[in-house]
Amino acid sequence: MDNINVLIIEDTPAESDALIQVLKANNYTVVGVARTYTEALRLFYNSEIKIDIVVIDIFLDGKADGITFAETINIVPNKSKPFVFLSSSKDRQIFERAKLTQPFSFLLKPFNELEILYALEMAVEKFYGQTNVFLSEVQDTVIGEDYLFVKKNKSLKKVLIDDIVYIEVEDRYCNIVAENEKFVILMSLTKLVQLLDPEKFCQTHRNFIVNTNKIEEIIVNDNLLILKGNHKVTLSDKYKDFVKKFRILK
Amino acid sequence: MILNIKLIFIFVLLFFSFFLCSQEHSTKIIFKIELENIARRYKKEINFQKANYFFLREEWDSTLVYSMKQLVVSPNTELNNYSHYFRANSFRKKKLFVEAKKEYDLIATTFPFYYNVKFGLGTISLEQRDFAKAVIYFQEIENSPSNSTYDYDNSTLIHNIGICYIELEEYDKAEEYLLEAIELQKSEKEKPLLIGSYMDIANLYYVQFKDNQAIPYFEKAYQLSKKIKEFEPKKKASFNMAVVEENRKNFPKALAYRKEYEQWKDSLNDQNKVWAIAEIEKKFAVKQKQKEVNVLQTENELKEVQRNSLLYSSILLLLLLGVSFYFYKQKTKQNKIILAQKEELDALNATKDKLFSIISHDLRSSVNALKTSNTKLQESLATKDFSALDQLLDNNSSIANGTYNLLDNLLNWALLQTKQAYFYKESLHLQSIIAHIAYNYKPLLLNKNISFENKVTAAIFVMADQDSLKIIIRNILDNAFKFSNENGVITVYIRPTEDDCCYLVIEDTGAGMSEAKQQELLKETVLLSKKGSDDSIGTGLGMQLCKSMIHKNGGRLAIESQEGIGTKIIIILPKTDNNG
Repeated sequence: MDNINVLIIEDTPAESDALIQVLKANNYTVVGVARTYTEALRLFYNSEIKIDIVVIDIFLDGKADGITFAETINIVPNKSKPFVFLSSSKDRQIFERAKLTQPFSFLLKPFNELEILYALEMAVEKFYGQTNVFLSEVQDTVIGEDYLFVKKNKSLKKVLIDDIVYIEVEDRYCNIVAENEKFVILMSLTKLVQLLDPEKFCQTHRNFIVNTNKIEEIIVNDNLLILKGNHKVTLSDKYKDFVKKFRILK
Repeated sequence: MILNIKLIFIFVLLFFSFFLCSQEHSTKIIFKIELENIARRYKKEINFQKANYFFLREEWDSTLVYSMKQLVVSPNTELNNYSHYFRANSFRKKKLFVEAKKEYDLIATTFPFYYNVKFGLGTISLEQRDFAKAVIYFQEIENSPSNSTYDYDNSTLIHNIGICYIELEEYDKAEEYLLEAIELQKSEKEKPLLIGSYMDIANLYYVQFKDNQAIPYFEKAYQLSKKIKEFEPKKKASFNMAVVEENRKNFPKALAYRKEYEQWKDSLNDQNKVWAIAEIEKKFAVKQKQKEVNVLQTENELKEVQRNSLLYSSILLLLLLGVSFYFYKQKTKQNKIILAQKEELDALNATKDKLFSIISHDLRSSVNALKTSNTKLQESLATKDFSALDQLLDNNSSIANGTYNLLDNLLNWALLQTKQAYFYKESLHLQSIIAHIAYNYKPLLLNKNISFENKVTAAIFVMADQDSLKIIIRNILDNAFKFSNENGVITVYIRPTEDDCCYLVIEDTGAGMSEAKQQELLKETVLLSKKGSDDSIGTGLGMQLCKSMIHKNGGRLAIESQEGIGTKIIIILPKTDNNG
């Protein structure tokens, strides 16, 4: 599990420092602080840093450049990231403009620790279109394109989906077995199947979802799958059809 | 004597027209009946009908016109005979004898009233003094068998024949006819005719110088003339007597008769004059009447015009009145509205003034407190009295907090009033919102040793604008803390209800408030509520802001409180539909 990478766009050092302090205390990684619009763009499109969330102050040096930045990153498809606006006033005209940069979440200054964490979670939920996840008692994970966002205590963690070997479902919980770690998330199987990329993940049993890229051997006679890291997973008759997806060499 | 004879001639001639008229009159009754029958038979012949109508009315010109039209249009011989007869008679009446004669000649002998034609021809001859011809016509009538039924004609006919014979100087025959006429007229009791006949026979004898025979007839005629009213026979009779007496050289008598004659003549003239005058008067009267009628007509027209103009003007006036009344009403209504608005504005202005004074007081006092506290802090630092620092800093921060809250509320209120704030209702997780707000109170709770419990379950979602909801809850929590004693408890929970609303209860164990105070707080008023007697400084702005914002979020505010026990502030908000 990795920390969430946050980019801060804030022109007042005192404010950004306070923010950094809060985020670090809650196991977020601040990958950069941009003071201006151009700097923000440069940091955002830097391929070396994987940004998960952007915190944007609407007013940069008295101009609404924060909104401009959001508008800019929204134009490029599949490149946008969840973001949160920060503002000290609820000016209607500014907000009407900001609202157009969907998904839209904002936080009014001054804010406390809980509020900023909540705002970040909301931004992730809204961005991936899975609302009321982190607040509910039946689910704690949002599934993004590349990562699972899992709520651990007060903060969010991410897991690279490609690292997952297989998922074993037990009641409301899912045991996620990755290459280097094992952990439990709170999520129903149906939702999981629904949200995971079917090209990558297949159900092999009532309780098992397998990353097809991690399969090393299929032993049909024994109803057994051998995965990377020597994990063994049962293959039930009901789900045997998934084998047809592979080109079988004869 | 020659003079006498001449005179007599004149008399005789005068008689003719008289006789002719009488004769026409008597025949007409039968003739009229026959004409009506004919007219009934030929109802479709409009021209004939009209000719007939005018003939009976004795309007000769119109008769001539329509009978001519009838003759041109219709080939019917029977109607033609009648038409010719109408024309002949009309011409004769208009003394156009030649034309009349021509028309008479055109009538066929089969015409049922041919004796009338003959009579007409005879009369024309008589008028033209062709007595021989006249006698022939009259005697033809006398000898024809058909006229015996109309024997009353006979007297005139016979009389006429007699006159003809006088003119032809066949006195014996004349005497015979005239005597017969006298006998017939006596039996018919036609007095004027009888007088004429008497005078004729007297003349007859007189011309033959048979004075002894003549004079009694003259006298008879004179006596008879006295009994009738007509002037003409009286005049003639008296004139004849005058001539007779003159010839007898009895001049005084003659003079008397002459005078009588003159008198009758004058009477006649007078009568004529009277008639003429009457006629003129009548015409004048008619003219006058016409004038009056015209005047009345004009008056009527004038009146109508006046009435119309009056009507129009009154309608116009009424309309004007209505319009002006409408505008007046409108104006008074506007005035009322303006007055009400003015009062409202005055009240608002007063509120604002009051608010301003309170706020300025609050701000000044709190900033002043901060200033003095800072001075103390500096003094403590200078004297290195570190034990007091902690206390002073706490004090400072609490003052700053209070002032900040006041400013925040003021700003929010201003934004709300000017509708400048961004307002967006969304589904909100109530538990986290309350946790977020309560987070800020942690140091305060510890300080006052008040325990706070958030019992709101995770499944509660409400529909509201996040920031306004935060402002509401913050304000209410502020109050709860302010009025809570040490070791107090503040609990936030959801009251279970049946309806679609979420009843968020914020309960404290503080001072509580009276019923009147509760009512005052809930009142829909822009005026600021007065503060209680406690030391807490405030404006009541917080509660006002809360109420306005709850209202804007579509919710309500309720208060349950008991003095000395505690207060429950209940915020009622609509739940999010899709999250039960």
